Amino acid sequence: MDQEFMAQVEAVVETPNEAPVRGTAAMQLKGVAVSFHGRTAVRDCTFDVTKNRVTSLIGPSGSGKTTLLRALNRLHDLTPGAKVAGQILLEGTDIYRGDITVTELRTRVGMVFQRPNPFPTMSIYENAVSGLRFNGIKKKSILDEAAEASLKSAALWDSVQGRLKVAASNLSGGEQQRLCIARALAMDPEVLLMDEPTSALDPIATLKIEELMTELKKRVTVIIVTHNMQQAARISDDCAFLLMGEDRAGELIEFETTEKIFNNPIDPRTLDYTLGRFG
Amino acid sequence: MSEIIELQEPVETGHQMRDEIRQISDRVRARRQIRSRIMVVLCGTAFLISAVPLVLLLFQLFDRGLPVVLHTSFYTQLPSTPTLISPNATGGVSNAIIGTLVLTLYASIMAIPVGVLVGVYLAESDSKLAASLRVISQTMAGAPSILMGLFAFSFVVRDLGIGFSALAGSFALAVLMLPVIIISSEIAVRGVPHTLREAGLALGAKPHKVSMKIVLPAAVTGIVTGIILAMSRAIGETAPVLLVIGGGYINSWKPLDPVAALPLSIYENAKSEWPSLRTEVWGIALVLVVFVFVLSLSARMWASRKQQAR
Repeated sequence: MDQEFMAQVEAVVETPNEAPVRGTAAMQLKGVAVSFHGRTAVRDCTFDVTKNRVTSLIGPSGSGKTTLLRALNRLHDLTPGAKVAGQILLEGTDIYRGDITVTELRTRVGMVFQRPNPFPTMSIYENAVSGLRFNGIKKKSILDEAAEASLKSAALWDSVQGRLKVAASNLSGGEQQRLCIARALAMDPEVLLMDEPTSALDPIATLKIEELMTELKKRVTVIIVTHNMQQAARISDDCAFLLMGEDRAGELIEFETTEKIFNNPIDPRTLDYTLGRFG
Repeated sequence: MSEIIELQEPVETGHQMRDEIRQISDRVRARRQIRSRIMVVLCGTAFLISAVPLVLLLFQLFDRGLPVVLHTSFYTQLPSTPTLISPNATGGVSNAIIGTLVLTLYASIMAIPVGVLVGVYLAESDSKLAASLRVISQTMAGAPSILMGLFAFSFVVRDLGIGFSALAGSFALAVLMLPVIIISSEIAVRGVPHTLREAGLALGAKPHKVSMKIVLPAAVTGIVTGIILAMSRAIGETAPVLLVIGGGYINSWKPLDPVAALPLSIYENAKSEWPSLRTEVWGIALVLVVFVFVLSLSARMWASRKQQAR
């Protein structure tokens, strides 16, 4: 009788916590914390980023979403006083202490920034292949091929095909951002980091990029920071919710599938946030 | 009757108040207009005062300079040496024109690469060396230009034993140009948005590649403007070359030959006792001004074309 009861209890307790069926992890975060001059900006981030899924980082301003994202391609390296603690694994290799150079890491983990930032002195073509050129690839046939493939993947090829030599700054904001996506894709990265990629764009350009992302995840793992909850709900498969703690440091509140975060979160603060009660 | 009057009274006061307000606002407006006119007159006067010397100078320059520069011999011949027998001998300043071009050319060759690289270094580095280099170049920018001449004389002419030469003069000018190029390059590089640097780094580019392939091209307009500024300043300098170029009376492009220079010719002709040489002064000045003007105009046109291309 007792055993039966316990089994029932266990079943009830186990079911909601059962990990959803996921593929292998592209990146694993284990107790990641970022601090600047000894002041913690974000901490306690432990979760797996699954391959070929879109993982979104959500939370109010100051919760450390962007700070966390920039730790994933070691962009804090050049910031004086910045320190990343914990472990970040890319395919099992610790990106800070493991057998991987920072340049190799950044070719494998691409990034798209908040505002479109194509190189203003370069043409559309040169922008698309800039990463390859920086890494020493000079052969024209390879560059041509990569330019076409990456511009196609970024859904930009049709509109720029005839004017590849034109300066990138002649493009509209949405096109510039897609060029930045193409630039990152040309490196054939495993993971693509996107830091609020649509916050500077109009709704139509935003929609195009969102459509692009669902297409992109077939070949690349996407991690996106977004302020826009509808966007996170629309495009992401997994969702990390961060919140600023009492000492003004951001921390991970909950990591779950997007469906759970929005419909059935464990932490009440997650529900409050996704319902728009604060933030 | 009385009821009507009572009704009319408030209407009456309303009119009175409105009139009063109108009167006050008219007075305020009138006062404002007077103040505005005074300010316009003051500004206009200040403008005229500042414009008068400039206009007078340009007038003098063309009035006295044009007759001199309209002769081709002025550009092709060596300076005349008036004697008592032929006091009005007319020559040219070909040696000084060539000398100025040579000096500016060699000085630019020396100063531009070093200046731009140091400027980029100052903008990209937070080291103590960078901080002290910055202080040094700022101090050098304010140093009197005769100092560069003295330095070039004691170091290049005497210590290195190179003698009075174009090389010594361009060395002095290069030292003069250096801080201008360094400071303006640093400002131009610092003006490149940080997001571009990050974009380069995020593509796996090494920091030096980011500097050379992204930051430098984006800053090039500002850098070139600084270079032209430095060149214009060097072209017109007399003091640094006074002690070291030797005032050569030959047309020579060779760095080790003594050369003449336009500003120095102005100085020497102006204190000459021969009237024929003194009349040449304004012609030389006009050539010098045209040099500087063409230089800055071409820089401006180049920069605006570059800007449009983006």
